[in-house]
Amino acid sequence: MDLTFSKEDEDFRSEFRSWLDTNLPAQMRTVDWWRPKSEAEQFQIRRDWEAKKAAAGFCGIQWPTEYGGRGGSPTMKAIYDEEMAKAHAPRTVNPLGLAFLGPTVMAIGTDDQKRDIIKPLLHTETIWCQGFSEPGAGSDLAALQMKAEPQGDSYVLNGQKIWTTNAMHGDKIFTLARTSSPDGGKRHAGISMLLVDMRQPGVEARPLKQMTGESEFGEVFFTDALCPQTEVLGGEGNGWMTAMLLLSFERGSSAIGQYTEFKGQWDAVVDVAKQVDRGSGKAVEDPVLRQKLANSLIELECLKYHSWHVLTQTSQGKDLGFEASMTKIMWSETFRKVSDTYEAVLGTGYQVPDPQPGLSLEELTTMSLWSRSCTIWGGSQQVQRSIVAERVLGLPR
Amino acid sequence: MKFQLTDEQRALQEAVRDYLGDRFGQKQVRELYESPESDGIPEGLWKAIGEQGWLAVMVPEEHDGIGLGLLDAAVIARAFGAGTVPGPWLGTVLVGEAVRLAGSPDQQAKWLPRIASGQVKGAVALLKPGTQDQPVATVSGGSLSGDLGLVEYAAQADVLVVSAADGLYLVDPAAAAITPHEVLDRTTRLASVTLDGAAGEKLTAGNPLAELVDRAAVLVANDLTGIARKALSDTVEYDKTRVQFGKPVGSFQAIKHDLADIHLAVTMAEHAGFYAAHAQDIDAPDKTLAASIAKAKAGDTASAATSAMIQYHGGIGYTWEHDAHFYLKRAKRLEYAFGDATQHRERIASIAL
Repeated sequence: MDLTFSKEDEDFRSEFRSWLDTNLPAQMRTVDWWRPKSEAEQFQIRRDWEAKKAAAGFCGIQWPTEYGGRGGSPTMKAIYDEEMAKAHAPRTVNPLGLAFLGPTVMAIGTDDQKRDIIKPLLHTETIWCQGFSEPGAGSDLAALQMKAEPQGDSYVLNGQKIWTTNAMHGDKIFTLARTSSPDGGKRHAGISMLLVDMRQPGVEARPLKQMTGESEFGEVFFTDALCPQTEVLGGEGNGWMTAMLLLSFERGSSAIGQYTEFKGQWDAVVDVAKQVDRGSGKAVEDPVLRQKLANSLIELECLKYHSWHVLTQTSQGKDLGFEASMTKIMWSETFRKVSDTYEAVLGTGYQVPDPQPGLSLEELTTMSLWSRSCTIWGGSQQVQRSIVAERVLGLPR
Repeated sequence: MKFQLTDEQRALQEAVRDYLGDRFGQKQVRELYESPESDGIPEGLWKAIGEQGWLAVMVPEEHDGIGLGLLDAAVIARAFGAGTVPGPWLGTVLVGEAVRLAGSPDQQAKWLPRIASGQVKGAVALLKPGTQDQPVATVSGGSLSGDLGLVEYAAQADVLVVSAADGLYLVDPAAAAITPHEVLDRTTRLASVTLDGAAGEKLTAGNPLAELVDRAAVLVANDLTGIARKALSDTVEYDKTRVQFGKPVGSFQAIKHDLADIHLAVTMAEHAGFYAAHAQDIDAPDKTLAASIAKAKAGDTASAATSAMIQYHGGIGYTWEHDAHFYLKRAKRLEYAFGDATQHRERIASIAL
């Protein structure tokens, strides 16, 4: 075992850290600075900051240089994620584009698509949304109904997408639609992945208010919206295969960024537990709460070890395959445990942002609510368990 | 960044598995279950454990050992857990560690070569029952007294290591009152041990009780992950073929989702077990925390996996004829050895809060 990083990796860490020290103002690392700003304003600031970071060469860490990436290793990407989380840097404005679309275009896109999509994506000139889920097609993605009918050089799109992250800010959307009728009941046939301009009259985005009170996702309605027939990724009728390839790119994720973020939250929860009065003493002195705090730390540290495992495998060029579902279950469940512990530490005090002088809980409370979405999106925990059981353990369907 | 075993460690893992596969499988474990009156140390097995160097692994080369680390020993412990291997391997290795960590040069020269070869069998009484850090014996005028609780292989050992407030002592079992018991987990032997003014030879170079207990906890954690992994994989194999309602029972989500969760927990316990061993080897700043994390996670996980093994085998899993109870009973014993999960979580809290 060797848990150290190479000199090249550590040099990259120093370089990126010093760039962050200079270019991420202290105020931008605090919630108080962000809170009074509108959602649109916040998004614009994040978008500009990310563009600046990209211009400095800190984008597409693992992507080839020919596409404007940095050509780095999986360990460099892990270090990047870790440093971003440690610095409380703004989250990317292009999460779906970076995680999914970019790698897919590099793998199977046409030369025009590679040129037109990748660099603008990295430099936040284009904000990409993902249009997969529909009201009747959540976990059962193949039940999707959106239609794309050929007309001249274009497809005409009609239908609705939902749970679309950044719906209100999106410039373009990679979306699944039926370009022909299901072939003899084969639900996976006749689907295409289309790259659609959201800035057109036939596309309307509406915000959805989440239980946190925020609206970072929304619904997208397509009413005779147009998409040129050249804007198909992976070829007409191959949408299901393209989508599966696209989702497979999540597999390389080491989750070290999530660990760093959640560990920071756990530290903040401990800090709260030292201040909150519970019965005969502080929460941190309560034997049952101590068990809960310790248990969430156990899971956090296991997540860290697992990140090292994933990083070891990917650094050696191994594909994790369906084991990636284990990473997703692990980080999202761990996040939930940290949140559950936070709620238990506060008791009734969880209901208010300032249960006692000196405590300001808005950020942690939002975190605890947000953790509930993470066991749903990107494949619910129940879907992931079926994948682990069937594809990793080999249990029958 | 390499969070994985070296080629040599993998070869060691294979060697232990191969030996057990060829020479000491569940048939031999069952023979032991049918002979509770035996000494619990199958002769051929113990001889092989000595010859293969599995007792010598952490003994320095100058004392005829191999001079490797706790991670190498953890690899053996995990394979022994999976094989529900009987015998005083753990006790003997821990006596060796006590002598290595705290013995004078003369004490090391006297004991370590014989421990490395398996010529000497050891047993340890380190913690006052129910505590995580209190020594078991009191010293008065150079002799030891105290109720040492249930000690593994005390009646078969050639030497005992006993903790006292001022350090660790080597005690001749002949000087102790030893009462063997019938044991649920028949892959071991347990005896009540009391000392009443027994002579002891103090290990003179320091008092590494806390370190020794952490090392013991890490080895036990790895044994538990071996048990848990085997319990899970046997259950998965059974549930692939056992048909009810016209389908393999492993196709039902009530079962497969639980097995998926257990697979995840076992995987994490495996990571934690190996990391904790490595952390001791490199003297990492979080080595104490890592030991407690490994033991707590392994205890909970082995408990869940062995319970699931019985439940998801149905009635057959509850029978004497099926092997499932071997794993459950061993897990239940080790779950409470060197601190249970609740105690380790409290220790984690005291370190991290």
